[in-house]
Amino acid sequence: MQFIDNAIWLLAAFPLLCGMVSLLLPSPRLVLSAAAAGVLASAALDTLAVARVFARGAMASNGDWFRVDALSAFHLAVMIIVFAMSSIYAVSYFRNEPEDMQLNLASARRFSALWHGALAAMTLVLISNNIAIMWVGVEATTLLTAFLICLHISTVSLEATWKYLIVCSVGVAFAFMGVLLLAASAGANAAGASVMQWTHLQGIASGLDPRLARLSFIFLLVGYGTKAGLAPMHSWLPDAHSQAPAPVSAVFSGFMLNMALYCIMRHMPIVAQTAGNQHWAGNLLIFFGLASILIAAVFIISQHDLKRLLAYCSVEHIGIIALGLGLGGAGIFAALFHTLNHSLCKTLGFFSAGRIGQACHSHDMRQIRGAMRIDPLWGGGLFGSLLALIGVAPFAIFMSEFMLLKAAADSHRYIVIVVFLLGAGIVFVGVLRQAIEMAWGEKPQGAHGIKSSLAERIIVLATLALLILAGIWMPDFFRNALKAAAAVAGGGMP
Amino acid sequence: MSIEKICGYLLALVAAPLLLGVINRTKAFFAGRRGQPLFQAYHDIFKLLRKGAVYSTTVTAVFRAGPPASLAAVLLALLFVPFGPVPAVFSFQGDFLLVAYLLGVMRFCTVNAAMDTGSSFEGMGASREVQFAALAEPALLLGMAVIVRTTGNLSLSGALQSFASCLTTGSAPVTILLLAAWMIVFLAENSRIPFDDPNTHLELTMIHEVMVLDHGGPDFALIQWGAALKMWVLGALVVNLLVPSVAGGEIAGAGIFLGGMLALAAAAGTVESTMARFRLLRVPQLLVAAGSFSILALILVLR
Amino acid sequence: MHGMTENIMAVLLVVNLALMASSRLAGCIGLVALQGIAIGLLPLFAPGGFSARGFLLAAFVAVLKGIVFPRLLHNAIRGASVRREVEPFVGYGFSLIIGVALTILSFWLGTGLLPSSHGNERIVLAGAIATVFTGLFLIVSRRKALTQVLGYLVMENGIAAFGLAVVSEIPLLIELGILLDAFVAIFVMAIIIYHISREFDHIDADQLSTLKG
Repeated sequence: MQFIDNAIWLLAAFPLLCGMVSLLLPSPRLVLSAAAAGVLASAALDTLAVARVFARGAMASNGDWFRVDALSAFHLAVMIIVFAMSSIYAVSYFRNEPEDMQLNLASARRFSALWHGALAAMTLVLISNNIAIMWVGVEATTLLTAFLICLHISTVSLEATWKYLIVCSVGVAFAFMGVLLLAASAGANAAGASVMQWTHLQGIASGLDPRLARLSFIFLLVGYGTKAGLAPMHSWLPDAHSQAPAPVSAVFSGFMLNMALYCIMRHMPIVAQTAGNQHWAGNLLIFFGLASILIAAVFIISQHDLKRLLAYCSVEHIGIIALGLGLGGAGIFAALFHTLNHSLCKTLGFFSAGRIGQACHSHDMRQIRGAMRIDPLWGGGLFGSLLALIGVAPFAIFMSEFMLLKAAADSHRYIVIVVFLLGAGIVFVGVLRQAIEMAWGEKPQGAHGIKSSLAERIIVLATLALLILAGIWMPDFFRNALKAAAAVAGGGMP
Repeated sequence: MSIEKICGYLLALVAAPLLLGVINRTKAFFAGRRGQPLFQAYHDIFKLLRKGAVYSTTVTAVFRAGPPASLAAVLLALLFVPFGPVPAVFSFQGDFLLVAYLLGVMRFCTVNAAMDTGSSFEGMGASREVQFAALAEPALLLGMAVIVRTTGNLSLSGALQSFASCLTTGSAPVTILLLAAWMIVFLAENSRIPFDDPNTHLELTMIHEVMVLDHGGPDFALIQWGAALKMWVLGALVVNLLVPSVAGGEIAGAGIFLGGMLALAAAAGTVESTMARFRLLRVPQLLVAAGSFSILALILVLR
Repeated sequence: MHGMTENIMAVLLVVNLALMASSRLAGCIGLVALQGIAIGLLPLFAPGGFSARGFLLAAFVAVLKGIVFPRLLHNAIRGASVRREVEPFVGYGFSLIIGVALTILSFWLGTGLLPSSHGNERIVLAGAIATVFTGLFLIVSRRKALTQVLGYLVMENGIAAFGLAVVSEIPLLIELGILLDAFVAIFVMAIIIYHISREFDHIDADQLSTLKG
């Protein structure tokens, strides 16, 4: 129905509306609850769109400014899962903060406004067909989430915010140069204003100037890679994740990094179809992916802060996804599967880190002991998510990494396998040691119990169950959805 | 070797000390005074020529040879500089390098004489002078490269005279940059404010004045005249950039050129009255800025 | 309007060098504002640029970059009561020389990137690349947080000029979106600088180094 197709822009506008409504409420608790409600309502709207796309194929709006195809729909699905869970979790997380860190009305309103704004901006990135509007959305997420990091203003949180702001802004500015170069590579084929539409570029991809296309991809990779947390542009990541409140960290790792990779996924098939560049983009991605895995592995060993540890894990997993993208074919399928798994896992990890940290009054891993005894639910969540992150079977991450290695072996890239296993092995040892020490042992003095609401119990248990389930069984509809999304990223028009 | 070239040369020789007079009168005007007579520099030179000189026992022939040698160098350099539309007495391809190096020889003789006295004040002034000259030289030479490239004429005289007519409508930035660079070089090489204060009596802040502290009598007269001629040479470079070729032949053009030189002197006087001297640490930065203006002009011309 | 474009690009290049050599923060803010206005005027002199849309956009950019941004940045440093950039990582004279070297490099790159276009676009391209380099250098070599913001603004100016040189037409909506992004970015950065100056009593980004590893 054309009418519904033309209303795609509502997906980005609706969260803004909910945000404005939530600003009118008089107490911090009400504001947070309204934020959760608003996000859930937007999630419902997005679910409709996702279901429609997977059932009937891509939706495009009049004038081709907006378009939701299988890849966008998949990422929309991941986004709403992560955002919905984080919003519900945020309600009780902020309620249980110590007295001096409680949110007053102004900060709660700021949180809600920025939260909805970030959701709207990320939706804009996913639904837009124009690579410049995609860029505008990415830059907007940087700016809107900056204040979320320093929700509680302190010296360290300001430092993290400043680094995040400068590094990501400069990176995203580089990405814009890449966008301009890609538009320039259309050269004589540039049909005026529509040269920046992704569908148009896909169509004329084989006629683009290969040299300019390669140059543009370098800028795009470095630029969007900064936002995604690919090494060596990841320097903002550990600081921002460790200083932001837990729900914000969850959204960062659970979706924002993937959103930046989504932008790279959009540009990769265009560049890969230009003359003579078929494997060039993939090889560059493999290089950055392996670099991220190794660098993250080295830094994980020496971490003391739980949230920084999880942040470096994110760098490693983003590297794995980039590696999968670079391998192509079945690798892209594995990478997308890994996207979902990592988002679920990392979100649960940050949730548990937040609550356990509140209980033990610190995020220092040397001071967190006996998490299972403090609260079996959250302790189990922490331990389970850490196990899943390092790739223990039968969790889903093991499955997606296995698929990735299989793709690498099928294309005879054995060095990739060796380096990957080396990095993953180092991470395995480093994290497992910390996880066991945190889960068992004597409870620290002054640690209090955790009251969890029913919704939170459901979140933790359902996520763990889903992670185990996805590792064992992939239902057909999910497999087809992944295949459709991988086809778009691999170069087909859906 | 036509008559008008020689007339131009002689006119330059005679008119050079007038520049000093104009500068001093301008400064007096800004200060609300009446100031020195316009031809005071001539009176000073004649007075000094009639005096005798006293030489210290520690100096050698180098000290005595300094002033005449530096005067000879700048007299030679003046031979290659055009007087407005009147071409220079001599010119050959690449003579702009000779002019720059003759000015360098002049500086070398002065510095040598200063160091020969064995006094620490002169040595200090000499080291500063040489440092600033080293930084100002790229600005001068690259500017010359710009005008040579624009006009295609490898002789200083020919290049300067056809520069104004070779400019296209879009070359205002090049002229402005060149003008700025050469103005800074003019002020620096002639030891005017903001690089050096010609009126200062504090030996620790002098640069040029302190180098010639020990010269007296006829030697000092030669040095004064030489400094005025150097000012004329560098000023002629700046003014020739701007003076257009006028109908009315060479006399009118020469008149405009002379007026331009006096206007330049007045401008220098204005700068001296309205600015304070820069800290010694900032002077190299300003000279590097002048160099970068020249490089920028060269880039704009070369592409 | 070949000459006008050259004049504007010459202004741009001189402003870049002036930024490299200047230590007074208020002066730097003014220079960046001048650069922003110059880049805003640049599209007017491209072929076919004299249109209602062109004038509207140029006026908008001039107001935004010439009035709004300096106002925001001046407010940010007023609270911090800083006047000068002290002791940058690279001294001012050396910065100037590096600036000249980067300008020469960008002219070389600019001529290599688009060999098929005529002279006008190449100088805009070279000037744009030089401006981006200058912005990056300012971010990397200066200590004060405000100078890093100025470096980001200079980079944005350079990228805007770059867009002019390589892409023939960008839709009005996208241009406005980009400008809106720039506005929000400076707004956010100014607020963060204000908070930093309140928490730390200085705005030395170099001293924000507690989080390590």
